[in-house]
Amino acid sequence: MAFLARRLGAAVLLLGVLSLLSFVLLAAAPGKPENLLLGPRPSTPETRAAIRAQFHLDDPIHERYLSWLGGALHGDFGTSVYTREPVTSIITERLPVTAGLATYALILTIGVGIPLGLAAAMRRGGRLDQGITLTSLVALAVPPFALSILLLYGFAVTLGWFPVFGAGETAAERIAHLTLPAVALAAGEAAVVVRQMRAAALDLVGQDYLTFARARGLSLPRVWISYALRNTALPVLTVGGLLLAANLTGALFVERAFGLPGLGELLVTAVARKDIPVVQALVLLGGAVVVVVNLLIDLTYLAVDPRVRHGAVAS
Amino acid sequence: MTAVSGTPLFGGRVARLRRTRPGFLTVVSAAVLALMALAAIGGTWIAPYDPAAQDVALGASMPSWAHWAGTDDLGRDVLSRCLAGARSALLWPVIVTLCTCAMSTTLGLLAGYRRGWVDAIMMRVVDLLIALPGMLVLIVLVGVLGGGIGWAVLALAVLFTPGDIRVVRSLTMAQRELAYAEAARTLGLRPTRIMFRHLLPNIAPTVVAGALLSFVAGLVALSGLSFLGIGLPAGTPDWGLMIEENRTLLDLNPWASVIPAALVTIAATAATLLGDRLFERLSDAA
Amino acid sequence: MLLEINGLTIAGPAGTIVDGVGLTVAAGEMAGLVGESGSGKSLTARAAIGLLPKGLRASGSIRVGGVEIVGTAGERVLRGLRGRRVSLLMQDPFSMLNPLRTAGAHIAETMPGRATREEVARRLAEVGIDDPSVAGRYPFQLSGGMRQRVALAAALAGDPELLIADEPTTALDATTQHEILALLARVQADRGMGVLLITHDLRVAFAICDRVSVMYAGRVLEQGPGTSLAQAPAHPYTAGLLRALPSVEYTLEHLTGIPGSVPPAAQVASECAFAARCDHATTRCRASRPPLREIGDGRLTACVHDTLPRLTARDVATGTLPTGSGEPLLVVDDLVKRYGTHTALGGVSLQVAAGETVGLVGESGSGKTTLARSVLGLVTPDQGRIELDGLDITRRRALTRQERARVHRLVQCVFQDPSTSLNPAMTVGATLAEAATRAEPADRLAPGDLLELVGLPPGYATRRPKGLSGGQRQRVAIARALAVRPSLLICDEPVASLDVSVQAHVLELLRGLGRELGTAMLFITHDLAVVRQIAVRTVVLFKGRVVEQGDTATVLDAPAHDYTRRLVAAIP
Repeated sequence: MAFLARRLGAAVLLLGVLSLLSFVLLAAAPGKPENLLLGPRPSTPETRAAIRAQFHLDDPIHERYLSWLGGALHGDFGTSVYTREPVTSIITERLPVTAGLATYALILTIGVGIPLGLAAAMRRGGRLDQGITLTSLVALAVPPFALSILLLYGFAVTLGWFPVFGAGETAAERIAHLTLPAVALAAGEAAVVVRQMRAAALDLVGQDYLTFARARGLSLPRVWISYALRNTALPVLTVGGLLLAANLTGALFVERAFGLPGLGELLVTAVARKDIPVVQALVLLGGAVVVVVNLLIDLTYLAVDPRVRHGAVAS
Repeated sequence: MTAVSGTPLFGGRVARLRRTRPGFLTVVSAAVLALMALAAIGGTWIAPYDPAAQDVALGASMPSWAHWAGTDDLGRDVLSRCLAGARSALLWPVIVTLCTCAMSTTLGLLAGYRRGWVDAIMMRVVDLLIALPGMLVLIVLVGVLGGGIGWAVLALAVLFTPGDIRVVRSLTMAQRELAYAEAARTLGLRPTRIMFRHLLPNIAPTVVAGALLSFVAGLVALSGLSFLGIGLPAGTPDWGLMIEENRTLLDLNPWASVIPAALVTIAATAATLLGDRLFERLSDAA
Repeated sequence: MLLEINGLTIAGPAGTIVDGVGLTVAAGEMAGLVGESGSGKSLTARAAIGLLPKGLRASGSIRVGGVEIVGTAGERVLRGLRGRRVSLLMQDPFSMLNPLRTAGAHIAETMPGRATREEVARRLAEVGIDDPSVAGRYPFQLSGGMRQRVALAAALAGDPELLIADEPTTALDATTQHEILALLARVQADRGMGVLLITHDLRVAFAICDRVSVMYAGRVLEQGPGTSLAQAPAHPYTAGLLRALPSVEYTLEHLTGIPGSVPPAAQVASECAFAARCDHATTRCRASRPPLREIGDGRLTACVHDTLPRLTARDVATGTLPTGSGEPLLVVDDLVKRYGTHTALGGVSLQVAAGETVGLVGESGSGKTTLARSVLGLVTPDQGRIELDGLDITRRRALTRQERARVHRLVQCVFQDPSTSLNPAMTVGATLAEAATRAEPADRLAPGDLLELVGLPPGYATRRPKGLSGGQRQRVAIARALAVRPSLLICDEPVASLDVSVQAHVLELLRGLGRELGTAMLFITHDLAVVRQIAVRTVVLFKGRVVEQGDTATVLDAPAHDYTRRLVAAIP
């Protein structure tokens, strides 16, 4: 329980820091805040004064932070200075694309990464292992945006197998439109899983307890489920947080490269337009996702590893 | 402590097996990186055209005898821009790597060797920085606040350092408990001497491999920022920026974006491969 | 026969490791397989259960309960044999159990059919665990001895006819070791099962095994009943091992190790493997490989000579040890060190006189290493006082620069683990030269002289630690400590990780240095026989307290404290 309390505390602290960071962003951005908030519209001293009043810009900064945070906690992130729409509705409109892309990539990552990692470990040193290890190394190094361009050129432009831009309308179209982006996003993540899985499996093979289990004549399914899967799950889980961060930033590049109207694309555009309320909301949202997923990973740890459960290891 | 006799059964033998002559891929990777480094140094002299020279009348064109890799929409020679772009694409990541390496090695050694409050404070900060969705924060900070490539490089170094500090620190902590390190302390050697003369050589393989990985991460991150139009001013010859500026020309001259994309990929792959192999060889030799 | 091994050869990528081993285990028999590290005994054990590490191949014949398992048998056949016909108990209780599974789960999963709670409790009771709640505990919640008991119960859960026990007590404390061995012997007798006990400890093997095979460089050199082997070894190697074995009963005049080191099996394939290190070696020994031949009484030897080697060392009169001047050099007074709620040292007081060697005996967790580290300044004690040559060194930070430099010259240390005692990145010469810079200019010795002091050729200065054997590394570590001419040398289990034959050399070296240089020593060990050979006085530490101290002879021959008595009784 102490473990969980500590993790919860850290999560709250992290969100606090993130919210502070994204709030301070507005104050620190070059130019006067009212000009930023006005966006591209023509301004008169009157409109500027109105904006100052509307956003309480003359209040002390900590009060403004608290009222912004209060709004954020109720799902109110203000309005976009560019489109004048509520930030929340812009985000909900864009969310499905990114969520679809992330889920698709996650399925690919796990579906490809775990079997390949295991296969490489089982054929250690063989051609299959060398091939998988090398491929994963390359996939690990390739930046998602470069891979996106290469995939686009190869499979969409030259071969014409997949659509070039956009997100598609029907479900089937969606899948077709999202396939290349999901591959571009998943490649690096799958590589991480492959390497981690391979290392975990090799480590397991070297463990005395596995030899001891085999020496007692345990059946194969028993060895696989009680030993191999459970014991390798932990080291693979530890990279979960890393994967998520890669997923978030990767989505940014991939969405832009494929012209997908998702949250990543929204963030990049908002940054370019200095649409601060949108940026703030997205940073906070991204941070919240990272924090929540890391908490989930900790919970899984708690469920799988008795040492953590009984506080024997301070992790 | 009770005696545990008997040696690990196969550690030595397996290690010896792996210690073969440098493989084909290692040589190729090193050669590729060397070539790219040459381009970074002398690319602007070899380049057939001035990378900034425009030929708006020509516009985007497919490869031809005059322009081996074609031109972009402003009629600039893609080949020349790729050669010239090597400099900014590789130089900045090198600076990121040097900064990261210097900071993480010094701080990691200090935290791992000294422990106590130095370590406690440093680890709190490190934990926080690691938990932040780093690239996201970086994009927002540099994108909104401006400040150009210099700030981006600095921010990246700050972003990469915590992870490496953790690695160096845990290795240092493991080494410092070993008998040779305790013997050095018993002899009354100066802490700096113990840290840099005794501990550092034994964690060097990881530091070197980590440096190559930092280089890759820096390369990917910086060209990624350029790809998002953040950092370098528009029009600078740079691989990431070229991909961004020419990606809409896939039908007119795909090479204008495909070649820089391939170059970034190849550079990153070569450095990763080299780091991976170097790490294996160095850790075997120890 | 439960196990019949014939002409077993195991080869890896680097060549042959085990070469033509033959041995048998019958029902109801406790067979021993002894050898130093690298002799191939553990691999032989692994091969016998079909679990050789990847990359190694076995040839020859191994029959388990009549079933041949070399070559033809697939994984299916082996899995049928394992657990029910043959089972394995391994060395390290801390790594043998799956950290994510409970003790009970380990036992239950091995039992044929469904395991009830009562049955698991009964199995635990068989290995001396009467508390059934242990079944629900995880390995990390159990002590080393308990884990080894649980592992034994798990290994026996399938009711095997044959148990292969690979160094089952090596990682345990002396008293626990004693208990586990007794338990193993009892279970073996109760079940009428066959046991193949693999150990590096000659005393253990000779004490509890019906028949013992002595392995060296991948082959068996001698076989026979344990007691007769101990009294009249028929192979010079066995004799050498016995001679090197420190006695717990008296202090030997000379400790004689075996010169040289073990050759790789592949290098000595067609000669006597021991010839290069043997006093009796003749050209016959190198001409061909001597086969194991019978010499009566169920004994076999691979020595070509008919005369048996003599065990001379045992007859020699008691040796003497330097007693020191009586002037106190190190005074430890009421030292306390706590780690959280754990008390490592609970008020320890002891003295070491100049030139005297004091033994510090205790098991893991007794606080002996914490005490050493406190004196060395690697740990700051919570309470109490440490005085060295009249200087209060309890808190190193409180000392002036000059005082600190003086302390570093007064006390040095030799650590336990030879594999980490030297910096792998530095040559031996660089290590010694660096240490010498800390000495008084007048005392400064060159690396070559320091090496000579510890009996190594000066040419070793250019080598790196990787190119040295364990014993040689410990010698260099001793030379490094001596480079500053310390008055007090703390030896923290310096021979615990070494093979017997090497251990004797290092002990003899330390004894000689004590005599010639007049260096006082605080010698930390868990081995009473070692303490008998080196220390005039002995301090017994138990759970952070001194429970007994006095003349080594008195402490060992007439122990006053209950714990010391248990320690003495635990000697095999």
